[in-house]
Formats: sequence, structure tokens, C-alpha cells
Amino acid sequence: MNVILLLIPLSIVLLCAGIAAFFWAIDHAQFDDLETPALMPLTDDAPGRETPPP
Amino acid sequence: MSGCFHCGEPVPATADFFAVVAGTARPVCCPGCKAAAEWIAGLGLDDYYRLRTEPARRPLAETDFSAWDRAALRRMHVREHAPDRAEVVLLVENLRCSACAWLIERALSGIHGVREVGVNAAAKRVRLVFDPRATPLSALLHLLARLGYAPLPLDAAALDSLRSRESRSALKRLVVAGLGAMQAMMYAVVLYAGGFDGIDPATRDFFRWLGFLVATPVVLYSARPFFAGALREWRARQLAMDTPIALAVALIYAASLFETLTRGREIYFDSVSMFVFFLLAARYVEMRVRHRAGDLVDALARLQPATAERLTATGSEQVGTHELVAGDRVRIGAGAAVPADCRLLSTACRVDESLLTGEALPQARTAGGPLVAGSLLIDGPVEACVERVGADTALAGIVRLVTRAAATRGRLACAADRSARRFVLRVLALAALTAIAWCVVEPARAFAAALSVLVVSCPCAFALAVPTALTRAIAVLARRGVLIVDADAPELLARADVFVFDKTGTLTEPRIERSDVIVHRGSIEAALAAAAALEQGSSHPFAHAVRAAAGELDLPRASQLQNIAGAGVRGVIDGVELHLGHAAFARDADAEEGRLVLSDPAGVIAELSVRERLRPGVAEALAGLRADGARIEIVSGDCRRRVAAVAAQLPVDAWTANASPAAKLAHIEHLRAQGHVVAMVGDGINDAPVLAAADVSVAPASGAALAQATSGAVLAASRLDELAPTRSVARSMQRILRQNLAWAVVYNLSAVPLAALGWVPPWLAAVGMSASSLVVVLNSLRVRAPVSAPRHPANAAITLAREAPA
Repeated sequence: MNVILLLIPLSIVLLCAGIAAFFWAIDHAQFDDLETPALMPLTDDAPGRETPPP
Repeated sequence: MSGCFHCGEPVPATADFFAVVAGTARPVCCPGCKAAAEWIAGLGLDDYYRLRTEPARRPLAETDFSAWDRAALRRMHVREHAPDRAEVVLLVENLRCSACAWLIERALSGIHGVREVGVNAAAKRVRLVFDPRATPLSALLHLLARLGYAPLPLDAAALDSLRSRESRSALKRLVVAGLGAMQAMMYAVVLYAGGFDGIDPATRDFFRWLGFLVATPVVLYSARPFFAGALREWRARQLAMDTPIALAVALIYAASLFETLTRGREIYFDSVSMFVFFLLAARYVEMRVRHRAGDLVDALARLQPATAERLTATGSEQVGTHELVAGDRVRIGAGAAVPADCRLLSTACRVDESLLTGEALPQARTAGGPLVAGSLLIDGPVEACVERVGADTALAGIVRLVTRAAATRGRLACAADRSARRFVLRVLALAALTAIAWCVVEPARAFAAALSVLVVSCPCAFALAVPTALTRAIAVLARRGVLIVDADAPELLARADVFVFDKTGTLTEPRIERSDVIVHRGSIEAALAAAAALEQGSSHPFAHAVRAAAGELDLPRASQLQNIAGAGVRGVIDGVELHLGHAAFARDADAEEGRLVLSDPAGVIAELSVRERLRPGVAEALAGLRADGARIEIVSGDCRRRVAAVAAQLPVDAWTANASPAAKLAHIEHLRAQGHVVAMVGDGINDAPVLAAADVSVAPASGAALAQATSGAVLAASRLDELAPTRSVARSMQRILRQNLAWAVVYNLSAVPLAALGWVPPWLAAVGMSASSLVVVLNSLRVRAPVSAPRHPANAAITLAREAPA
């Protein structure tokens, strides 16, 4: 049973990490527009595509 | 492909423009489209043509954006974080599908000096971070215009808009509550299992403290809006939903902490976290729906131009509209919007006031006549003297009217609040009574029983009954191309018994039919082709109708085209001078009003009558509504003859012509005073106050932004035949909603007495509460649309594009 003393603090650390990651994503506008990015994978890997000039 | 590869308009036969896209030469209609298509292809962005769901807009005529580099304008619209880092938010017209967003993002991020590009297709906004020393703002605006998108920088205040801040903080609270609830439940399972199989007290206490650890942020951070709301309600002496929620959350949390400290029997950290999470989820969904409504500021920004050309003693300068003062002289170009209420100084001009007054025909103005801010100048340029600016303009007056009309609504919201307050008072009284009664009988069980009453009766089922059914209905409707802006709209649509329609733009569109062309000389094709060639460069509303009537005819090459204010166009085809326009202008005194006459020096060639054609699906839509028992009325600002002609073709019960916005408003008020529930369907700015005054209103997506901002629902595909199905979805929602409320009442009436008698331990109360919420949620999923033919895929795509959070 002693293993829970290790695993549970670990789960709480992971929980905090998850919440921090969510906060970071929300603050960086990752959830502001949920629909435009859905089109991106359709185009990026099209064959013979030149990258746009920088 | 018959039309232009880029914009989809018919390609004139004489034009031999080809754009090379992906190695294939594609026909385009004009040099502008050629340049746009080749530029897009040159950037390697021709995937746009595969992805788009609507044809592109023609590139805009060369517009001078240099005024945006003026310090006075820059201060208002650009936020400079550092000398090499400036941020601006643009409202972009014509941004219609996700492919547009993709194109803008790619095209702009390739520009030297542009650091970040963020496009939000749903809100029609582009956020740019750029280096003003490398690329001036005007150059970026110019690029957008070249792609066919009209850019409009928004106030710098829009950068940290209230809306996005509210949305982000709500999402954060939801995430904390969700993850916290999950963890709390995991620890609770251990305790439940321990309760059955035995658990050593030290481990039990350890898990209780863990529950406390994860529930604390949920209560102190996520549930803060409920505490703030309860405090507000308390200060205003108005009990509503937040008070019992805050009270229950605080009591359960405090009781659990007390039990943990005293090593008591039960803790409820899992219940309280789950409770907060459910409530926050319901509120988040509601907030997203609310945010989807366009705001008035945007609508105003779209109508009023941001810059104006001010005439000075030495010449002219581009200034921001807010810099104008009464008495300034301004020059307004053809096709531009009037910046402020002005008096005309030039001899004559025509203005398109259709957005403001609903009048379909352009209005002629002579020297000294008024020009209203926001109306479009059809021919120009003209000079005008500024009379009123900013908040004094007629446009600002209309907006004030709208805001006031919208503020007096919310009858349903008030009723819901009142019943919630009564419910809350009773629950609180009952909990107190229970506690007192148990104190007399058996003090040890008083707290648990009172807590059970509070938890079991917590207005969860009541709180969820309305929003879940509503969200489901909104989702079902969104899939059909109907966007619900106002949460009251579905219920009111279900109850509406009178549907009032605006005519112009809603029921009809200007059209020239071939059968309406009277030819005096030559063939009908030759006449139409010549007329279309003459109208090639005109932005007159009839010009589009003429071009559409000519269809794919081979157009002759016209030269020396000249727009004559208030009269028509003149041009030379094959060496012959032709006139197209009003009867007097084209030297035919006998022609009827509302008719275009084509003539050459030898006399009249043809007469084209412009008539309003019913938009497709209108007759079916009205018939469907009428069969459903609704009364149909037309109220229009247009003249009697035209309204009567339209009314004769449709199943309407009554119609009114020559109605001013005030008269329309009075008519709606009159109908409402008779006890009718009125639904208004219209699209003009002039309809905005009327739309706001009706019980519920619907605007087509093609309508004015201000009209949409005041509407309860927007038809994304602009098809009125969605009205009847919308109504049946609303009815289905209303039915489910009643079932939900009935269930909540039955559940509370049976559970609360049991809890008060002490037969329901708090953990069972929490289970009961969750189960009753689940019943409500599952029942709400039954709201659905009537079975009908599959919808057009393009419409589905538009809906998709607009479904994202605003």
C-alpha cells in the first residue's frame, strides 16, 4: 500500500501540469477559433506543393 | 467552367484574359481577377480554389489606404508594443468561408515584416502583429483589398475585448472544475469501496484530505462566479439562482471539511466538485450562444467609412472620420459611403439609401440636399459640407433606437427569474424548517437532513431543464443553416402566430426578365448585350440586373463610358453613341417610370422593365407557415403598386405599403397589444428597430449586419424555406422543455419530503440529484428536426463556418 504514497502525489503533479498546459493554451488563443484550423491538415501535405516564399 | 475562374461572374466574350493557375490557363473576367488569381497561384496558395465553398469577390478597385499611416488614425487603431512590434485587429468584409481565412493567413504571413497572423472566420476578424518600420499598415490593407477583402481596422480597445476575456476565463474555470471533479471522484471511489470492505482509518483520512485538496480550487476558483452572483443578488435584495447554488456549495464544502477534521461519517467533496462542473458547463454553453450575436459596434463600423477626404484651402487630405467637424468640406467618391450627415454642394448625385430606408431605387439629390451618413454614393465624386458628426448622425440615432428597443425585452427572462426566486425561497425555508424540526426531535441528524434537502432540491434539474433543451435545439438548427442569436428566440418562434415580412431584399430581388424587354429595332440578344456592355463598370443596383439578364451573351466592346448622375450611362459601341437610362435621358418621353431605355441617335432601340422577382423558395416558405396556422403580413416602405404586385403572388393575409420605420414600429406594437406573438422577418438597417420591437425576429445572412445584430435568429443560407422547419424544431423543443420542467417538479415534490424526513442520506441525495439531471439531459437529446430532403452541401458548409465560437 505504500506505493500509493508515491503514486498519488504523482497524480496530483500530473493534474497540476495538465491544468497549467490548458491555461497556457487558452491564454495563447488556442481555443478562440475551433474551426479554421480543421482545414490545415487537408492542405499542408499536398504533393508537389512549394512552400510559400518567406 | 462558364464564369470567371476567380469571381464566378460571366466572362465577356471580348475579354481575352487568362490566368495561369497550376499550369492551366483559366478564363477570367478582368485584369483584376487575373492579377488576383495569378498572385494567389504565385504564392503557392491555389489550394484555395479547391477548398472554397463560395466564389471569391472581385478584387476591389484601387483604394488609397495611405490615410491609415496618419498618426491620428494610428493612435486609435494600432497598439505599438515596441518600435518594431505593432498589433492591429481588422474587421474583414467578404470573409465568408474557412478557405478565405486560410488564404489570408498564408498570403499575409509571407509578407516581410509580418510577425503573426490570426484569422477568426466566425468573427470576421484578422489579428496582425507586424513591424511598422518594415511594412506600413497601409501596405497590408492594400494587400487584403487586392485579394478582394475589404479591411477595416477596429479600435485598439477591441484588442482586449471583453468577450474574449470572458470566454477565456469561463473556459479556465470549466477546465479546473472538470479535472478537479474527476480526481475527487477517483478518491471518493476508494472511500466508497472502503465503506463496504472496511478501510483503515488512517488511509481513509488520507483520502479525505486528498479530496479536500482537489475540491478546494474547484470551490474557491471555479465556483467564484456563483459566489459573486449570490453577493450581487444579496446586495440587490433579489434572490435568484445563484443564491441557493452558492449556499449549497459553501455548506457542502464546509460540512465536508468539518467531517474530515472531526473524522465524521461522510464527506461530499466529489459531489460538490461535480455539481460545480455541471453548472459551469451549462453556463459555458449559454455564454457561447450569447457571444455568437454580432455586436452593434461592429455593425456601425461596417457602415461608416473610417476615413474621409477633407478639402482644404490648398487641396485635399485623407483624415479619419472622427476628425471631421461640422462645416468641413469633404469629397466623396463614387461607390463610397458618406462619412457623416452632409449637405450636397455639387449640382446632383444619386445615393443608395437602401440599407437605411429600405427604398430599393437610388435617390436623386440636388445641390443643398441631405446626404445621410452610411448611405452609398452611386455616382461621383461630389463635394459636400459636413453638418452633423458622430453621435448626432441619423445612423447613430437608429442605433440608439435599436438599443432601447432591445433593452425593453426579456419578458421571458423575467418570468423565469421570478419563478426561480420563489422556488429558492421555498427551498431555503424548507431547509431551515427541517433543521429546526430535527433539532427538536434528534439534534444529531439535523445538519445531515437540512443538507439533504438543500442538495436533493438544488435547482439542478430546473437549472438544466431549459438550457439543455435550448442548446440541443440550437445545435439542430445550426446544422440546418439557422443560427439562433437570442436564447429566447426558439420558444417565441414556436409561439408566434403572426409573421411580418419586409419586402425588399427579404421577399424580392431586382430582376430583368427577357420577356420584359420590348425591342423596337434589332434582336433582343443584341439589345441586351449592348445594355450589359454599357453597364459593365457601373455599381448601380440595376446594372447587376442588366448584366445578369445578358447572361453569357457575347458582349460588344464599349468605349467612352460615362455615368450621368441621376440619369443613366452613355457610351460608344461600334462607333455609335448609345444611351441607357431613364426615359427622359434616353429621349423617349412615353416610357413608363421604372423602365430603362436603350437608344441611339436614330431613336429607341429597346425598353427594359426592371421588376422585382420573388426570391426562390419564398412562396413555399410562406405557404408552409400559413398551413402551420400562422398569419402572414407584409409591411414595406416601398410604394403601393409594387407591394400589391408582390402580395398578389404570395399567400398573405394583409399588407401595408409606404410604411416609415416609425409606422412599422407602431404596426408591430398594435399587433402585440392585440395579444399576438409577432415574428418579424427583415434585412435592412431600417428594419433594425422593428426587428428589435417584435417578439422574435429573423434576418437572412445576406442582410445588413445591424439587422442581424438585433435579430433573434439568422438564416445562414438566406433561404426563407427554412422558416417552417425552424418553427417545428422550436415546437419540439418547447414540448421537451415542458417535459423537463414537469420531471423536475415531480422529482422535487417526491424527493424533498423524503429528505426532510431524514430518510435520504446526503450521498443518496447527491446521486438522486445527478440522476435527475441525467434524465433531463437525455430527454433534451430528443429534440430534432422533421425529416426532409437532404440539404445543399454548400449551405451545410456555411453553417459549419459560422458555428465556431465568436
